[in-house]
Amino acid sequence: MIPMLINTEKINFLVGDKDILNLIQDNPALPMFSDKMLKFLEDLSRKLMDDKRSRGYQDVMSYAYWIRKSSLERIKDSYDMELSRLGRGVSFHISPSNVPINFAVSMTSALLAGNSVVIRVSDKDFEQVSIVCDAINDLLSGEYEDIKGYFCIVRYPHDDEITSQISAICDIRIIWGGDETIRRIRSASIPPRAIEMTFADRHSIALIDSDYYLTQDKREVAKGFFTDTYYTDQNACSSPRLVVWFGSKIDEAKASFWNELLSVVKEKYTMEPVVAVDKYAAFCELAMSKKGAKIKSYENYIMRVALDELTEDVLDYKHGGGYFFEYNANALEEVLPVLNKRCQTISVLGIDKDKVRDFVVENGVRGVDRVVDLGQTMALEFVWDGYNMIENMTRIVYA
Amino acid sequence: MINDFYELDPYELNSADKEEMLRKELIELTSLHKDKCKEYADFLEAVGYDAGNVKGVADIPFFPVRMFKEYDLKSIGDDEVFKTMTSSGTTGQKVSKIFLDKETAMIQQKVMVKILSSYWGKKRLPMLVIDTPEVVRNREMFTARGAAIIGLQVVSRDTVYASNDDMTLNFDVLDDFLSKYGDGRFIIFGFTFLVWEHFYKELLKADKKYDMSEAFLMTGGGWKKLESEAVSRQLFKEKLKSVCNIGHFLDHYGMVEQTGCIYAECECGNLHASIYSDVITRRYEDFSPCDIGEKGIIQVVSALPHSYPGHSLLTEDEGIILGEDDCPCGRKGKYIQIIGRLKSAELRGCSDTYADKYGKN
Repeated sequence: MIPMLINTEKINFLVGDKDILNLIQDNPALPMFSDKMLKFLEDLSRKLMDDKRSRGYQDVMSYAYWIRKSSLERIKDSYDMELSRLGRGVSFHISPSNVPINFAVSMTSALLAGNSVVIRVSDKDFEQVSIVCDAINDLLSGEYEDIKGYFCIVRYPHDDEITSQISAICDIRIIWGGDETIRRIRSASIPPRAIEMTFADRHSIALIDSDYYLTQDKREVAKGFFTDTYYTDQNACSSPRLVVWFGSKIDEAKASFWNELLSVVKEKYTMEPVVAVDKYAAFCELAMSKKGAKIKSYENYIMRVALDELTEDVLDYKHGGGYFFEYNANALEEVLPVLNKRCQTISVLGIDKDKVRDFVVENGVRGVDRVVDLGQTMALEFVWDGYNMIENMTRIVYA
Repeated sequence: MINDFYELDPYELNSADKEEMLRKELIELTSLHKDKCKEYADFLEAVGYDAGNVKGVADIPFFPVRMFKEYDLKSIGDDEVFKTMTSSGTTGQKVSKIFLDKETAMIQQKVMVKILSSYWGKKRLPMLVIDTPEVVRNREMFTARGAAIIGLQVVSRDTVYASNDDMTLNFDVLDDFLSKYGDGRFIIFGFTFLVWEHFYKELLKADKKYDMSEAFLMTGGGWKKLESEAVSRQLFKEKLKSVCNIGHFLDHYGMVEQTGCIYAECECGNLHASIYSDVITRRYEDFSPCDIGEKGIIQVVSALPHSYPGHSLLTEDEGIILGEDDCPCGRKGKYIQIIGRLKSAELRGCSDTYADKYGKN
């Protein structure tokens, strides 16, 4: 059988070229945590940290830190290496348009699992993408020339033909959402043996114990919560949309919490005027569709909407750019209605993480994939949306 | 009552008198729509509206104009709907739907006549439309372009459409119109971009020299498209003067959600609010009202909408209030400058690579 050549005319290669792409399915799969790939990532980490341009980007720096030697060793040690695990072959990644460093995170799991990577990155010209691709190209043209054939990082205009052709040769397809993107890409079929991981639209919530909060360094809490939310325009899947308050000093805690946050926001966040209108319109839509929502502040940097009841669909009225629902609760049970399939991360302050996890498990909740400390929702992790990313991209060879 | 306004010249009230008259009228309208439109009542409840706290026009809650795209909002029964107007959205975009009963439609026309007569006199003038008759043929669903023309027909006489169906200029029609009416005052109406593209550019190519010094060139629809082609308002006027000696320019700001209350351009080049409506510009940080000369998000209030809750709207346009009661043209009230649509935000986050593209097409 003569393999069909991929139409590369409209493809812009940031890493790799058309020959590599057309031959990529012939690469031998590598073992999980192969020395070669571990070493490559360590050197990539060093290169990124040395690049002066990286310093301007918190996301590049945290990525570099995440793939440094000691961090990867620790990850490797946490895996059961008794079973022989091997990459599945070619991984095809569709990365989101607005999270520049996501493509590298997705690539890292695929490489550690032992796969070749074909990554479509956003059309937007993010410098973070250039920094990482420059470093990769440097390594692949030197010491790592022998694994050059495992890398293609590309841009192409919206084109179903190219997506179909790459999908036809992949063994794993990873689609970073939204839902619309997933629906579109899924119209291109993948081979019968191939598997797919999709990262759909999700949202997240935060739980705060008011008494505990008041004993904490309020400025630090505000900074952490800022990173959870405004740092990504509150649009990351892990950004809290709803803050649920517990304990006996809720009013006092709220006043202090939002006040501190406001001063951090005013210092660090640039809000486009249209975002103020968007948030106000989102509130009005909610008010016209559901009873019991009350606007709590006209401070447009932080729009707070008080709810007197949590219903399953209330988070459908979410909005980014600093738009928060608030609810006062007496017991964890009251939060159950919003813990549906769409709910991803619960971040907590002064509330026991294990207790929340057990609560999720005991109630057979369909959503909630992680429970983390407030301020840590953006941490890079190899377990995401309920997938163990690395293991999922391998197969077990059993004897 | 709206009838009290009719007794007055549309630009005769100074700020204090106008404020008091509008405030009363707007409180009444707010209460009317609260009683008649459930969605609007829910909105008022959520923002904590209390009529007792309305000290001035700026205290009337502002309703996002976008809501007319998301909901069918009306304060009349379905059987009272006389016509439905829609904004001209391009394919795929949601359009505003505005429901009019006979009363509101009538008020709109009446006010439009009063406002425009302040510019070209009380006599109805012949009107040359730079558009094709196709745009008003479908009477069921008016678009903004069609609605503007229909609206102007009540203040004019003998409407003549100057464009062929493919939007090229029909010179026979033009010559015929000018030989009949060219010696007296007449109106030329068209959307800014269409006038430039299908009137100015074609006249430029024509061999004949035209003189339209008696004409009032009334334009609408904004300047964004022309400015993106480096055609400023100033250049537009100069070029049209040079090609056919247009005597009077009458640009205007208005929207289908507040038809009738247009902000028309005076002899000094400023857009004026009449006694029937007003503009408040608001700071995006906290929606507090801006000072004169300060750029802000435009809120428009109008005493006209009785059949739908559109009497106080937060638009998605930016503008500046240039002054109040002191324009050299002599008209009282605020005069404004429109900057244009708010820049859309490019938010970070896990948004759609592909859907983004599709959404914009």
